[in-house]
Amino acid sequence: MTPPPTVAPARPEVVTEGLPRRRPAWIETATSADHKTVGLMYVATALSFLVLALVELVLMRLQLIVPESTLIDPIVFDELLSAYGATAVVLFGIPLGLGLMSYIVPLQIGARSVAFPRLGALSFWLYLAGGILLYASFLYHPPDAGVNPLSPLSDEIFSPNGGMDAWIGGVGLALMGFVLMAVNLVATLHNHRAPGMVWRRMPPFAWSALVSSYVLIFTSAVMLAALAMLLIDRNYNGVFFDADEGGSPILWQHLSWLFFSGAYVVMLLPGFGAISEILPVFSRKPAFAHRAISRSFVAIGVLGVLAWMQNMYSAPIPLGWTIVAMAIALALLVPVGLLFFNWIATLWGGALEMRAPLLFALGAISTTAIGLAGELTQSVIPVAWQIANTTAATTDTHYALIGGSVFGGFAALYYWFPKLTGRVMGEGLARISFWTLLAGVHLTFGPLFFAGLEGQPVDLYKYYEGSGLDGYNLVASLGSLVLAAGVITTLINAAYSANRGVRAGHDPWGGHTLEWFALSPPPPHNFDAIPDVRGTEPLREIREAVRQRTESWRAPAPLERPAAATAPAAATEEAPTASGATEAGAADPPDTGEAPPDGGGGSVA
Amino acid sequence: MRRPRLVALCATAALALLALALLPAAASAIPLAPESPHSPNAEDLRTAYSAVAIVAVILGLAINAALIAAVVRFRARRGVGPARVRGGRQIQARVGMMMGAIALAVFVFGLIVTVEARDLEASGPQGLQASSAHTAQLGLDPPDADEEPLSVQVSGQQWLWRYEYPDGTFSYHELVVPVDTTVVLALDSTDVVHRWWVPALGGKFDAVPGRANETWFKADEEGVYEGQSAAFSGPAYPTMRARVEVLSVPDYEAWLEQQAADIQAAQTAVQAQVEEQNLETQVQETAGANPAVDDFESEPSAGASPGGE
Repeated sequence: MTPPPTVAPARPEVVTEGLPRRRPAWIETATSADHKTVGLMYVATALSFLVLALVELVLMRLQLIVPESTLIDPIVFDELLSAYGATAVVLFGIPLGLGLMSYIVPLQIGARSVAFPRLGALSFWLYLAGGILLYASFLYHPPDAGVNPLSPLSDEIFSPNGGMDAWIGGVGLALMGFVLMAVNLVATLHNHRAPGMVWRRMPPFAWSALVSSYVLIFTSAVMLAALAMLLIDRNYNGVFFDADEGGSPILWQHLSWLFFSGAYVVMLLPGFGAISEILPVFSRKPAFAHRAISRSFVAIGVLGVLAWMQNMYSAPIPLGWTIVAMAIALALLVPVGLLFFNWIATLWGGALEMRAPLLFALGAISTTAIGLAGELTQSVIPVAWQIANTTAATTDTHYALIGGSVFGGFAALYYWFPKLTGRVMGEGLARISFWTLLAGVHLTFGPLFFAGLEGQPVDLYKYYEGSGLDGYNLVASLGSLVLAAGVITTLINAAYSANRGVRAGHDPWGGHTLEWFALSPPPPHNFDAIPDVRGTEPLREIREAVRQRTESWRAPAPLERPAAATAPAAATEEAPTASGATEAGAADPPDTGEAPPDGGGGSVA
Repeated sequence: MRRPRLVALCATAALALLALALLPAAASAIPLAPESPHSPNAEDLRTAYSAVAIVAVILGLAINAALIAAVVRFRARRGVGPARVRGGRQIQARVGMMMGAIALAVFVFGLIVTVEARDLEASGPQGLQASSAHTAQLGLDPPDADEEPLSVQVSGQQWLWRYEYPDGTFSYHELVVPVDTTVVLALDSTDVVHRWWVPALGGKFDAVPGRANETWFKADEEGVYEGQSAAFSGPAYPTMRARVEVLSVPDYEAWLEQQAADIQAAQTAVQAQVEEQNLETQVQETAGANPAVDDFESEPSAGASPGGE
């Protein structure tokens, strides 16, 4: 009886062929298609570009600190100006919102992933490539045709160097990335919602993501077309914007202002969404009217984009069209007013916990209210004829957008940072940052408003002595340093807290939405079990259900073991939630996995 | 928690002190509306601004006041839970309607002022009359219907403005017009988009290549009005200032004659010079040189040459 020679003696063996080897962390990150990694990269990159935008802003303000200053060469000033515009809007404002959405929205709607993970990754790399392309032009010749390079100036006759092409390429690549991310988010929001999460139960931040995504798909596509036309005009003798050849410079204004109007909305909405999440959590009472808030977002998205011609009141277009634009722009007062009303009604009567997220959210509301009230005056044609393109007009824009993107973005950052990193950002630095930032905004842009009333146009590299503008500009320039200090403090706070902050549980704030149901940071698949959603604040309802069960639970006869009833289902979910959470006991989500008797079927009504 | 609160307190105190120090100085100096108008349409714009600014300030203050009140009143306290706040029936609709009513009122008001500001007003009695200067002197009513306003062709170029008067006379940098006279500006650009703006004489309007645009003003007082192009137009953009000198009608007519004579003299002088040069060197270069020469010779009225040239 000899064994067959081909059979080797049995010995323990670990099969590793099927598993990929772990690569260095940076490769894992760079090649990841996980929506959370992509979101983190988006946010980190956007914040880096925020620093660049700040540097440019401060340099420009330093040039304007005294009249007829010769500190910075006029051409260099124009380059800083052009780079500042593109950076603040395209490389910071929009992507910060998109990054947060990419990270948070799938978690909020109880999805295990986005619809097109690789599209998300491609989106980030296109955006980064756009940013690098734009800034690489600083090695030879940066763009210098202004924030919105109006057509004949951006033509090859007046901007013959390659900087303008770098602007087109950089902005174009980033916008392609944004469109892809927007498509990704729209598909995710339409198809990957948890059972029971019908539209009206979707959290406000997810609503803002949906509206922003649609706005981006529409307006970025238009801008991409405009950029392609400009590229053809510049390099291949196109005639799209050339008046002598039958083209029209006004066409560029329509297309680009459509995009910038959309960008304005997209810079505001994520902040608005985050504020709408933060207020109920930190005032310890539900949102005053969940549905009104999401409807306001939709209205703001639609009307905000359609009112693009409010930027063209002085252009040679028929008066009738500008009146239509004025009507649409003023109609925005209804959704915006309702939004502010609902926010204050949410705060009213609450028990406000003045933690960093709430502080920044309040700052955002205050600043945005001032900015949007200013924009209200400017949507009236005769007012805009006088005020548009003065520093008073940029003041309004900056109040609104710093409110939405910086205050709102920071509020979101402070709020979701524990989810992103597992750690809470420092409260002390947050307070310093908040007050510095608030002072900085008012010191920088308050004086500029009055300078604008006195007739200082925007984008000037110098103003003349004796024009009465010295004082305003001096204060504004010093204020910009305060503003920068405020922003940098929060960034330092984030960088420090990412590794050394106080550990947060899965739900440090007592949040109401599903992202707090996941671990901090969530595992690659987000949730072990996806709960059934039966209201606008799923986690609150989960907690409530747990509490009721705990209270109504009566110990059975002493002979039986009490845990037997819930043990099997709980075992699968207990592990992730309990491991990272300090207060996992409070929420104890696992119970709900089996709580609803009708597993997602009865929620559509 | 103590340290940051202390810092915040100190910062607030410092800011309050700063504000207190600045307030008296600021109150006297800060403008609450654009520059005082010297033209009917600029007055309309100022009216519009003042009215809408009041609405905006009320809205902005109301939101901020409510915010501060909420923060002061509803801090989390031990033993006090959040209260359930309920609006009345259809509170959203009511607030929405209120906002809609404000928006509608602002829109109607804005529409009226827009139309008003665009409406040409007839020249005043002291102004230049189209028919002749005699009508005004004889104390007759100026003929309203067939009266033609003074029409000036304004052409923007990097980085100066060129003004062409009805009789073909032109000037650079400075527009000279008679007082109390309706002046219609036909805006045009030879290169990039410029934006003509003299705050005291009305709003800003674009000069776009290949597209006609129009604005008007009627200066009510003699003097010099400063303005500034308000659309970014390249490296020397801040030097592109607009200047309007308003003269009495006789002064204006004298200036116009003088300007025409100056241009004529300059042109003949240059012509002679060029011909002389041609005779001397036998080089044909007149074709390219003439337009440029015209530009140079307009300098007498212009002052310093623009930065980029």
